[in-house]
This record gives sequence, structure tokens and C-alpha cells, in this order.
Amino acid sequence: MLSLFNPSNQLGRPSSLRLDLSVGLPLLAFLAIIPIFAPSNYLIGQLILFFLWGTVVTQWNLVFGVGGIFSLAQMALFAFGGFVTGIIGLYLGWSLWAALPLAGFGSVLFSLLVGLACLRLRGPYVALLTLAIAQVMYLLIITDTDCFYMEGVTCRNFTGGTRGLAKYGDFGFRDLLGAKWAIGHYYMGLVMLVLSTIMSIAIIRGPLGLAFRALRDNPAYALARGLDRFKYQLFVFAMSAFFTGIAGGVYAGHFKVIGANVLYLSLLLFLLAMMIVGGMGRVWGPILGAAALMLADEALKDYVEWRNIGLGIVIALFAMLWPQGIVGALETVWARLKRRLRGDGATAT
Amino acid sequence: MFRRTTSRPAAADQTTGLNRRNFLKGLSLAGVGGAALSSSLLGDLNLKAGVKAAEGEPIPVGGAVPITGWAAADGIEFQRGLEMACEDINAMGGILGRQLKPVFEDTKEQGADNIIPAIQRLIDRHKVHAIINGYNTGAVTAEYDTVADSGVIYMHHNTDIVHHDTVGKNPDRYFSIFMNDPAEYWYGKGLLKFLNGLGDSGQWKRPNNKIAIVTGSQNYSVVIANAIRDNAKEFGWDVSLYETVVVPISEWGPTLQKLRNDPPACIAVTHWVPQDLAQFCIQFKPNPTNSLVYMQYGPSLAAFREIGKENTNGVLYSTVVASLQDEIGTEFNNRYKAKFGASASPLAGAQAYDPTFMWAIASAVSGGSGGPGEIDQNKKVSNVLRRMIYRGTLGTTKYFLPEQAAIPYPDATKDPSLGMPHQYLQIQDFTKEPALIAPAPYETSTFQMPPWIKA
Repeated sequence: MLSLFNPSNQLGRPSSLRLDLSVGLPLLAFLAIIPIFAPSNYLIGQLILFFLWGTVVTQWNLVFGVGGIFSLAQMALFAFGGFVTGIIGLYLGWSLWAALPLAGFGSVLFSLLVGLACLRLRGPYVALLTLAIAQVMYLLIITDTDCFYMEGVTCRNFTGGTRGLAKYGDFGFRDLLGAKWAIGHYYMGLVMLVLSTIMSIAIIRGPLGLAFRALRDNPAYALARGLDRFKYQLFVFAMSAFFTGIAGGVYAGHFKVIGANVLYLSLLLFLLAMMIVGGMGRVWGPILGAAALMLADEALKDYVEWRNIGLGIVIALFAMLWPQGIVGALETVWARLKRRLRGDGATAT
Repeated sequence: MFRRTTSRPAAADQTTGLNRRNFLKGLSLAGVGGAALSSSLLGDLNLKAGVKAAEGEPIPVGGAVPITGWAAADGIEFQRGLEMACEDINAMGGILGRQLKPVFEDTKEQGADNIIPAIQRLIDRHKVHAIINGYNTGAVTAEYDTVADSGVIYMHHNTDIVHHDTVGKNPDRYFSIFMNDPAEYWYGKGLLKFLNGLGDSGQWKRPNNKIAIVTGSQNYSVVIANAIRDNAKEFGWDVSLYETVVVPISEWGPTLQKLRNDPPACIAVTHWVPQDLAQFCIQFKPNPTNSLVYMQYGPSLAAFREIGKENTNGVLYSTVVASLQDEIGTEFNNRYKAKFGASASPLAGAQAYDPTFMWAIASAVSGGSGGPGEIDQNKKVSNVLRRMIYRGTLGTTKYFLPEQAAIPYPDATKDPSLGMPHQYLQIQDFTKEPALIAPAPYETSTFQMPPWIKA
């Protein structure tokens, strides 16, 4: 298990842009044409959830897997974006489209505050502090019992309290597309995942990724060359918050309710498991992990009593046998295959 | 909304003005807990249709219930209640010869992202004709759109005043959605009415007009607390304390000190977690005030009495949805426990049992049930449900219209045959089941003065 948190495992071997394109474009094309085949609303709904969780773990991966920050605040940022969207929609009467950018930028500001507070700490202390922040947020919401306004006989709290915030509208696809409204949310979610993945690729393959690799491989030399760990970590922390906040806003608009339940530890651990199963620090790991765990969850839905145990076994197996996740395992297999092929070639000549 | 809902008693009283013909017509749709009239009605309908045994193509009926997560204990009972109802209905020939086949989806922690996909899956994958649930708390009616898009019948017990607003404002879109228990709001008014009734009948003399309200932080508790506070004046009460405690809570010292400094005639604790409430009793009893103690939901669970032991004797609580302790309820409770074991809770199971019968009868009257997309057929079923007066294990179910939410008796109607009894119970001996002390004519025991109150 420790090897999961070994920085040497957090950054996968940098693959070329060509590889990213060869994986990403067919995947994008496949996802883009799915609605043409008129799948069930359930499938569309589950794919929207996949886009949401895929976006969150892709961004969390930048912090956790690439930046080496053991932050557990990602769902707090997600919730922040969702609540900003809901609150703006409900109290200011704005369109949720207008609220979305504010959800993103608001989450960035929130993450900067969290980052300033915790990034001078290391390892488990960061995890503890960020988890505490998320739990404080949870408690603040569920203990919000003061009447902010009355709706008929019902007392409404500012954050919605334990009931959750609702009745702030939606993205307007119901009026636009009628019964096919979910298709609108589908493409919205897909665009969000694509953009967040592009940002992830840009960071992992770009100078920031290089800086983190340098800090990992030779910290003393990197520091001597002027690389400021705190500055880079704060930067990646804030960057990742943007799309996480947007995802929270899309969640709020899609489900038409946002509540403290998104801060449940069970959901946080489910998303963390997606990163572990997929492969932390790798571009495609979190997305693959999200798909794998959502498929496993789906397959186990008919065996409700066994689902949690089944998911636990899947996660434990990955942690023990393939700590670098599916993508890490595939990389190892590919490397061995290449070596063997090269060896076979040498024998033949 | 305030005006509309507070006018509910008037609206419900209008229902008491039903003429004899309508009343009898209503009664003809009433059933008796799957045992007598409802059975015979469903059986008669099947017989008229030439059905002797259920053998047609099965009709899937869904339950979106918390099989895992914090509400799993209740979720399993909702599952059992639906299964038992389907078995009983199938034994009578199903719905016009078609068997019912229960299917379930897990709503886990009851967040919107759990509830909505579970309901969507029931509709898309299982093609259910109806979804019959206990409670799911986290979607705040957001799941209604998923149901409305498909048009299937959806009956639940979310005990949520938001339902009134959502369905009342758009009854055409949400024609197929029914809340089969009264909203939590009625707990507040009902308590004040109950306390005044105790005084009027001479069973209790209040030492003053003060009522202290202690609420937890969950919305359910807050809505009830606010309803007590906002209606207190109307019923001749003064709120001496309104305290919000952060839950979970085991240390009640500061709150008790405030109560002891200004003793009220009644302490209403609207927080509901049984172990927390048991701790309140344990800490209250050594130095009690001359007050009745009313608590929400927690005392209905065995854990409350097990933890609080003799300190819980005398505590009052109420429920707007539970199987009665009468002939029908007892018969159901006994059969339920015989089937699922002595530790099973028919109180929760009945929440799925009664509505399944209501829907089956309405479908049979309408010529059959409707699946997803069969809007016209489901509208026929819905129209019968809207007019139905059903007498089952939970008492009488009749709906406010256009809100399609159960009417509580005696909170909103004076006629017990037109409302679901808001039951008041008292723990008189912690080693035994609580005694049902109101409302008439359902009570099986009388109020006893709590042991800590000095005459």
C-alpha cells in the first residue's frame, strides 16, 4: 500500500502527444455518437455521472498523483462549486449558465485559501487538514438550521441544510429538447470532461509536469535551480479546482439539488479508489479507473448485499497486486512485450 | 403556500361534507389491510374479469429503497412490505390475472445521485408500472421529473412538505405521484392539538402555558419545531425556549439547565435519533421538571427503550405513518413477524404494503396498469387513486387534492374515516411495546401521568 504513495510511482512514463491523441480521439468519437443510437435514459444518466466523476478524479489526479499533495479536499471543492451555482440561481435568479463560471472561479479562490493553509504541511498532515476542512463544511451545512426565508410554512435555510438546496432552476434543456433533455446534459458533461482532460494533459506533459518530475527525481538539484515546490503545488491546486467547481455546478444543474451528501466519506473513498484502480499520476488512469469502478458497481447492482464487499475486494486487489493501477499494469505489460519482441528480433538475426 | 397549507384543515373538513352517496362510493373502494374488503374487492374485480389465478405476463413493480447505507434497517422492511403485498395480491389473482413481480434498486445514502439513477433504472431496465417506496430523503422532489417523464405511478412516504408545493403547483405534470403519509409539518400542529385534548379531557392539568422546543439540526426536526413554534399562540401556548442542538448529542447538561431554570408544561424534543433521546431521558430523570416530555420518532425504536430503560417510562411520541394496533394492524403485524422473524418491523413494512394494494385495486378498476410511456392508462389509474379512500393497516388513506398527499386525522380532518391517524403513543413500561393512547377510535390504552410529575 505504501508504494501507492511513493512519489516515484506517481508519475507515469511520459507518453507522447500522439499516444494521447490515439487514445483520446477514438474515445471522444465513441462517446459523441452514443446518443445517436437512442440509448435508455438510464444509460445516458450513468454516462453523465461518469463524466462528472471522471472530471473530478482527473483534476484530483493532478493534485494527488502529479503534485504529490495528499489532499482530500476535492469533494469540498466540488460541493463549493455546486453550492455557488445553486445559491446564485436561487437567490439572485441568474441563469445556471451564468453561475457556472463563477462556480469554477469561486472554487479556485476557495482552493487557494485551503492551499495556503495546508501546503506548508507534508504528507498525512495535509490529508488530515483537508479532510477536516471538508468535514467542517459538511457540519456547517447540516447545522444550518436558521430560517433564511420562509416558503409557505417551510423554513428555508441558506444552504438548504440537511434537506439540500433545490428549486434554483436548470440549464434549460427541458424547454429546448423536451423528453430528450438529458442529451443536453450528456454533451455538456462530455465537453467538460474533454476540456478537463486537455488541461490535465497540458499540465502533465508541460513544464509544470516537468517541474514536479524534477522535484521528485532530484529535489535538491531542482530546488537549487530555483524550483519552488510551494508555488508549483499551490498553482496546481488552484488549477485543478476550476474544473472541479464546474463539475459541482453541472451536478447541481443536472440533479436540480445539491446537498451535504456529496461530502460523504463513502463517496470520497469511491472516487479515491477510481484513481488507485486506474493509475495515479497518469493522464488516462483516473478516467479508466472511473469507468472500471462504475462498471463494477453496475455489475454488482443485482447483488446488492455483496456490492460493497465486491468493490472492497476489487480495490484491495489493485492496491496489493497492481499498485500502479490499470494503466501502470498496461505500461508494464507493454514494456515487457517490447523487450521480448526486441530480444526475439536479436535472436533471429 | 402558508395560507394554502394552513387552510388544509378547512379543505379537509370540506371532505367531511361528502354526501352519503359519495361516502359509500368511497367506502366501496376501501380495503381492509389486504385481509377482508380490499381482498374481496380485488378478488371480485379479478373474478368479474374471469380470472381464477394470476397467470398472465408478470407486471414489474419497483421499490427504490435504501438496502445499504444509514437507512438500511428501514429499507429492508420496505422491501419486505412490497414483497409481502405482491405475494398476497398474486394469491388473489394479481391485477386482472397478471402477477406482480417486485424488483428493487438500492438508493444507498439517499443522495440525489443515488435516488434518481435508482428510479431511472427501475423505469428503463425493469419497465416497472409503479414505484412504491418508504422514504428517500435526499432528492427534495428532484426525482419527480424522472418519474413524470415516464408517467408511471410513484407512491412514497417521504413525509415532506415540499411535496405539497411541487405537486400542488403542477398537478398535471406530476399526476402520477402520491405521498402516502402526511407531511412532517403536521407533527407540529398535531402535538398542540393533542396537548390541549389531554387538558380538555381532564387527563392532565398543565402547570403553565409554556412549551420548550428542542430541535436537532436536520430539516425534518426543524420543520416540526418551527410548526410548533409558529402555531403555539393559536393553541394558547407560549414558547419559553427554542433550542437548536448540534447532533449527534449525548451531553444534554446545558439544555437541561435551561429547562430547569424555567420549567415548561411540555418539553418537545424534535430531534429523532434514539440513542441521543435515550441519553436525554437518562440525564433528565434524576432532576426532572414538572413537564410532559414529547419526542420525535426515536422512541418508536426498541433501541430507545433498551438504552434509556426505566427512564423512558412516561415519554410521549407520535407517528403519522405506522400500522395500527387494531384488528387489521395486529393481523398484519402477526403475519409479517411470522414471515420475516420476530425482529422484523411491520411498522415500516406496512408503508410499502398498503400503497401496493391501493395501486393494484386502482389498476384493476381502470382495466389494468400502465408501464413507462403509457400515460393515458396511468392517468386512469391515477384518477382512481385520487378519489380512493382506502382502509388498510395504516388506517385510512385519502389524499389532499391537488397535492396528492395523505390527509392526517385528527390534525386536518375530524372524521377518522377520512384521514390517516396521527398516532400518539406513550412508553408506560419500557419492557413492553408502547401504548397507543390517541386518537380515538384507534387508541388501545389511556394516557398515564409520567412518574416524574408530581400531582
